[in-house]
Amino acid sequence: MSNHELPRMPKSWRLESKPHKFCPGCGHGLVLKALGMAIDELGIQDRVVFGCDIGCSLLAWDFFNVDTIQTHHGRTTPVVTGVKRANPEAIVIAYMGDGGGYAIGSQHLVNAAARNELITAILVNNTNYGMTGGQMAPTTLPGQKTETTPYGRDVKEAGYPTQGPEMVAAIAREGAYVARGTIANLKQLTRFIKKALQNQMEGRGFSFVEVLSACPTNWRTNAKDTWEFVEKEMTKYFKVGEIKVPAAEGGETDE
Amino acid sequence: MADKPIEGEKKAFMTGNEVVAWAALAAGAEIMYGYPITPQNEIMHYWTRLAPKFNRKFLQTEDELSAGFTTIGGVLAGKRAFTATAGPGNTLMQEPMSMAEMMRLPTVVVIQQRGGPSTATVIYSQQEVTMTTYGGNGEGLRIVYSTSNHQELFDYTIKAFNTAWKYRFPTFILGDGYQAKMRESLTIYDPEVRGIEMVPTTPYVLRPGQIGVNREPNHLRNTYNTEEELYEVLQKHISAYNEVAPEIVEYQEFGTEDAEIVVVSHGVVFRSCKGAVQELREEGLRVGYFRPITLRPFPGEQLRKVAERARMLLIVESAYGQLAKLVKDAIFGCSVRIEGLFKPGVGITSEEVVTKVKELL
Amino acid sequence: MGEGRIVEAFIGEYASGKSENAVNRALMLARAGRKVTLVDLDLVEPFYTLRPIARKLEKEGVRVIAWETSETMGLGEAGSVLKPEMRWALLAAGDVILDIGYGVHGAKILNMLEGVDQTPELKVYAVINIFRPMTSTVDAIVEFVRSLGRVDGLINNSHVGEETTIEMVCQGARVVAEAAAKLGLPVIATSALKPLAEKIGPRDCVGNPVWPLQRFMDASFW
Repeated sequence: MSNHELPRMPKSWRLESKPHKFCPGCGHGLVLKALGMAIDELGIQDRVVFGCDIGCSLLAWDFFNVDTIQTHHGRTTPVVTGVKRANPEAIVIAYMGDGGGYAIGSQHLVNAAARNELITAILVNNTNYGMTGGQMAPTTLPGQKTETTPYGRDVKEAGYPTQGPEMVAAIAREGAYVARGTIANLKQLTRFIKKALQNQMEGRGFSFVEVLSACPTNWRTNAKDTWEFVEKEMTKYFKVGEIKVPAAEGGETDE
Repeated sequence: MADKPIEGEKKAFMTGNEVVAWAALAAGAEIMYGYPITPQNEIMHYWTRLAPKFNRKFLQTEDELSAGFTTIGGVLAGKRAFTATAGPGNTLMQEPMSMAEMMRLPTVVVIQQRGGPSTATVIYSQQEVTMTTYGGNGEGLRIVYSTSNHQELFDYTIKAFNTAWKYRFPTFILGDGYQAKMRESLTIYDPEVRGIEMVPTTPYVLRPGQIGVNREPNHLRNTYNTEEELYEVLQKHISAYNEVAPEIVEYQEFGTEDAEIVVVSHGVVFRSCKGAVQELREEGLRVGYFRPITLRPFPGEQLRKVAERARMLLIVESAYGQLAKLVKDAIFGCSVRIEGLFKPGVGITSEEVVTKVKELL
Repeated sequence: MGEGRIVEAFIGEYASGKSENAVNRALMLARAGRKVTLVDLDLVEPFYTLRPIARKLEKEGVRVIAWETSETMGLGEAGSVLKPEMRWALLAAGDVILDIGYGVHGAKILNMLEGVDQTPELKVYAVINIFRPMTSTVDAIVEFVRSLGRVDGLINNSHVGEETTIEMVCQGARVVAEAAAKLGLPVIATSALKPLAEKIGPRDCVGNPVWPLQRFMDASFW
C-alpha cells in the first residue's frame, strides 16, 4: 500500500474533533479519510448532508465540517432519503455498519436500492457488532468467534455471511453504482466513493459502497494479524471491485 | 398549475381522510411520506391525486419506520413534512417519533386509530392514546390533538403544522377510523382568509452560506455519552415543554359549575357524550362535560378545578382506561369519585352514556 | 321505468353517494314489483358498504350479493376480494344494480364481470356531488368523468348532508347539466333525501327527474 502521497488530513475534516474517537487501528478513520478526500475532490462540502447510523459509525457524528445527522440504528437510509426527496439539491450520504445495513435496516437498504433513490450509502464491514462488544454480525465469517458465536459461526445455525453489494446489485436497476472497496487500498476506495457520489450528483441512480474494514479491538488482533484478516480472510468471502456500474461508465475489478 | 388548493372558503362534503389531505395542502405541507394501513389510506389516495397539481411531493416507503424517518428527513431539509398511520403502524412510528422528540423536530403525524392490540380490527378504536401521548422510550414531549369532527380535523391539521414549527415538538392529530371514513359537511378554507399565518419553516441542514466562510456546519445528534449530558439536555427540553404547555392546552367544558356528574371524554366519543349531557340537562339533571382537545399536554389544572367541585367523574372512552389514566394522573389527590364506561375498540352511543349517567345519579 | 331488463352500474368519486343511490335504485325497482339483484362491487372498501344493511334490503325483496360479516374473517384487512358470485352477477335473472367503489381504475371493475358484452342494456351512471372538492366545478367534473372510462349518464347528487338546501341541489343540477353537455352525456336524475326531494317536486330546476333517497348508509359503518 502506498498512501504516502495522500494528504494527511482532508480539508472537509473537522479539526476540533481530532484526534477522532475510534479505537486505535480501527478502519473507520481510513474510510472517512477516503470519503473526506472524495468530498474535497468534488468540491461539495457545502452541499453534503452526512447521516451516520448507530454502532461505531455514530462516532462520526462530528467528524466532518459538513451538516451531519446522527440517526437511529439502521435508519440512516430513510433519514437521508427523506432529506433528498425534500431537497434534491442535497448530496446525501448514509454511513452505516454491517449490522445497521444488513440486519436491522436491511429493508431500507433493499427498498432504497429498488427505488433507485438518489442517495449514496457507505457500509463499513468489520464482521461484527463493534460498539456493543463484538457480537456476530450478518458479515461474520464462517467459523469466526464472536461473543455470540463463542464456538465460531456455525453456518448450519447462523447461515453464511451476507453478500451485501451482490444483493444490492441484484436489486438495483440500470444507473445504480455498486462496489466493494477495502481499507487496504485507499486510493481505489477513494475512487469508488467518488464515483458513487458522482453517480448521485449526475442523477443516475442509487449508489452503494461496502468497505472491508478492521476491528482489532474485538478481533483481539495485533497490526499484522489485523491486516492479514482484512486482506486474506475477508476477501475469501467478499470480493473487492466494482459490482454494478452504469452502462455509460465502464467497470473496474481488482484483478 | 393551480395557485392555491382552496380559494377563499367553501362548503364541502367529505370523509375525514380526505379532509386531512385537503387541510395539509391548505397548510402548505410540501411532502408526505407514507405506508398503506387502514383506516388512513385515503389520506394518501387524496394526497397523491392532489399533490402534483400543486407541486407537492409524495414518497411511498417500505414501512412505517421508514415513513417516520423520511418525514424526519423532510423536516430536517426544512419542509412542512407529514405522515399518517394507524394501529400497528403507529407502534412502528414510535421509533422515529422518539428521535423527533429527542431532537425536537417539528414532525406532523396523523393517527387514525383502529382496534388493538396487534392487528385487531381496521375499523375504529381509541386505544392509541397511551402510545401517541407517551410512546417511545421517552417522556412524551409531544403535542397531541384529539379531534371529534371533520371541521376540527381540518382546523387542527392546519394548526398542527403551526404548533410543530412554532414549538418544535413532534405533533400528532389523533383521529380514528370513524372520523376517517365518516362523511359530513364542513367549511374548507385557505388559512390566509381566516387570518391564519403559517409559521415559516427553516432548514436544519444546508442552510444558506459557505462552510468555513459564513456558516457553521450543523451537527445534529440524539446520542449522548454520559448521564449528565443527557440529563442536561432533557432538563432543557422538559422545562421548554412545561413552559409552552399552558399556551398549547385546549379543552371544552359545559355545565361543570353545578354538575354532580361530569362526563370526561375525547375525540369522536365526545360527540356522544355532548349529546347525552345536553339531553340530561334538558331533563333538569345536573350533568356536565369536560373534553380535553389536547391529550398532551393535558389540561390537568382545568380538570382539577372541575373535579374539585363535582361529585363524580364519568370517564367514557373506546379503550379500557387509557384516558382514565391521563385523568387520574392529572387530578391526583383529588377525592372525586371516578367511574368509567370503557368499551375498548367499540363505538359508544349517547343512549349508552345517558343510561350510565342515570344509573350513577 | 320501461318494460325491459334494467342493468345499471353506479360509479363515482369516493363518498359521492354511489352506494346510497344504488341501494335506493334497487329498492325503487323492487317496490315496483320487479326482481332485483344488488351487487356490492366496492373493491376499495368492500366490507363496509352494503354489508351492514344487506338483511334489511333482503326483507324489502332485494337480493343482495355482498360479503357477510361472518365470511370476512381471515380475509385480512379491507382487502380487495371479489366474491365468486359477484363475477356472475350480470347473468342473474331480472334487474341488476351494481354498486361500484371509487378508485383510480373507475369503470374497469366491470372487466371482472362475466357477460358484460352480452348485456347491451347495461348503463353506467356517474354520481356527482358538487360539494366534493374533486368534482366541484364543470371542468373538474368533465376531467373526472373522463378518467372513469365508460360512462353513460350522470346523476346529480349534490348535497352537504343534513344542512342541504334546495338552492344547493339546484346549483348542483346546473353545474352537472353543464358538465354533461360538455361530455355529451344525459343527466339521468337528481337525487336528494326524501324530505328535500318532496319539497323540490318531481322535477328539479333544470327539469331532471328527482329521485328521493331514503338514508341507509348511516346504518353502515361509514
